[in-house]
Amino acid sequence: MTALSVQVTDLHIEFEVFSDRRAGLRQRLATQEGSGRRVIEAVNGVSFETRRGEAIGVIGSNGSGKSTLLSALAGLIKPTSGEILVSSEPKLLGVGAVLLNGATGIRNIRLGCLALGMSSEELDDRVAEIVEFTGLGEAIDRPLKTYSAGMRARLHFAISTAVQPEILLVDEALAVGDKEFRKKSRAKIESLLANAGTLFLVSHSTNEIQRLCTRGLWLEKGKILADGPVTDVVAEYGADN
Amino acid sequence: MTVHDDSHPESDDQDQGLFSLDKSVTSRAYVAEIWKRRDFALSLPIEELQSSHKDTLFGNIWHLGNPLLTAGVYYLVFGKFLEVSRGVDNFVVWLIIGVFTYQLTSGTILGGASSITSRQGLMRSFRFPRAIVPISNMIGELLAFAFQFLVIVIFAFATGVGPSRRWFLLPVILLIHTAFNLGGSFIAARLNDGFRDIQQLIPFVLRLAMYASGVMFPLDRIVGRNDLVDWLVRLNPIASLINFYRWMILGTELNVATSALTVVESLLILWFGFRFFKVAEYRYGQS
Repeated sequence: MTALSVQVTDLHIEFEVFSDRRAGLRQRLATQEGSGRRVIEAVNGVSFETRRGEAIGVIGSNGSGKSTLLSALAGLIKPTSGEILVSSEPKLLGVGAVLLNGATGIRNIRLGCLALGMSSEELDDRVAEIVEFTGLGEAIDRPLKTYSAGMRARLHFAISTAVQPEILLVDEALAVGDKEFRKKSRAKIESLLANAGTLFLVSHSTNEIQRLCTRGLWLEKGKILADGPVTDVVAEYGADN
Repeated sequence: MTVHDDSHPESDDQDQGLFSLDKSVTSRAYVAEIWKRRDFALSLPIEELQSSHKDTLFGNIWHLGNPLLTAGVYYLVFGKFLEVSRGVDNFVVWLIIGVFTYQLTSGTILGGASSITSRQGLMRSFRFPRAIVPISNMIGELLAFAFQFLVIVIFAFATGVGPSRRWFLLPVILLIHTAFNLGGSFIAARLNDGFRDIQQLIPFVLRLAMYASGVMFPLDRIVGRNDLVDWLVRLNPIASLINFYRWMILGTELNVATSALTVVESLLILWFGFRFFKVAEYRYGQS
């Protein structure tokens, strides 16, 4: 068997949320209640291991904890309890990733790559190649706020794969791109997997998951409902919905 | 294409096994991590500076135009109409040094406090040492100050103040000043992340500190009446920091003991602020 890339043990992630209606300050001080605080278990006891060369498709309904799991794998959220071990720092850039809206696409590429830890010398060498990969053409010199969802997705995907991560986390980024870009991004993912990388793909499209992934992980209410070969898990998921 | 990431030394440890991302790091490792992302820390404020006046006709000229007009207003009001001197030679230059250098302190601290909340999206999207957020805010304020300093120099030369050998100490003065500002910024950032109400209070604290720092009038106007006020003024490093610049440009008196105390205070505040900020590292950008 190939080496482990990710090992997650009994992962719990809780969020403290404030409901809309908060009690007044006086009432809160007097009764210690009504702060509007509620604890939500976004990830509730998840354990799994992945190996190099595996592509894991994460499926589940909205709010099942998929994106939270990915953020935790990327080290952006601290687990409430449990442990995440990785072989290399995973890189995540979902469609919701925030860049500078007022700055041009190319400046956002520079900023994103620097934020992901690329050195500026390496960036200078590779920026043309990254721009080329986005396929955005002249739009690369337009401010990000003028971009469509699909154009943003291309930019995000180009940035997160530019740092050539060993573990790539993709959150719904591919479905929005057009046909040609999907082909390009698929080639990129395949080369990552061929080089013993690991892919986590969150998507609502079971087609896309089946096309790109070898293994399925079905998450519901923060728990794993199924984990196995992608066709089996997708079939089970499909039967339930 | 080879899947190898040169910028991450940790990926070289892969054969020794797996590691956790959320273990807390030593201060030294943390600083090394910040240094590695120095280009990122620099690119944020530069980006912001370049886009800040984009929708105006004169664009980047405003970076200089704004402080120039500010100083011009002071020159007209205090130098020409009121002819205030407040017992100070060259009061107008004395005043604009106070206003601009105090603005560097207040801007860095206030901006540091709000940066943690305004950069939340960036922090949720990328994993980097969070200290970069207040640090890049500080760099942005320093860039703005560069233009303000230019205006100070213009007004100094225009009023007959020549350069002197003291000017060579500018980098040292800036370094001490920045140590204080960054330390204060770290503290404000952490406090504001815990209690968002802090952001509303900081402007008032800063305004009070302004009157206790001799920005608009010499401090001898307020000392000698109340022991507590005297002590606060004497311990206030901001007053002494501003005086460094006045000493450098105008040759005002410099108390060696007070100045030494200010250097110690500034370094202590930076040291404490850094540790205070780092302890809550994982919490920033979460709520």
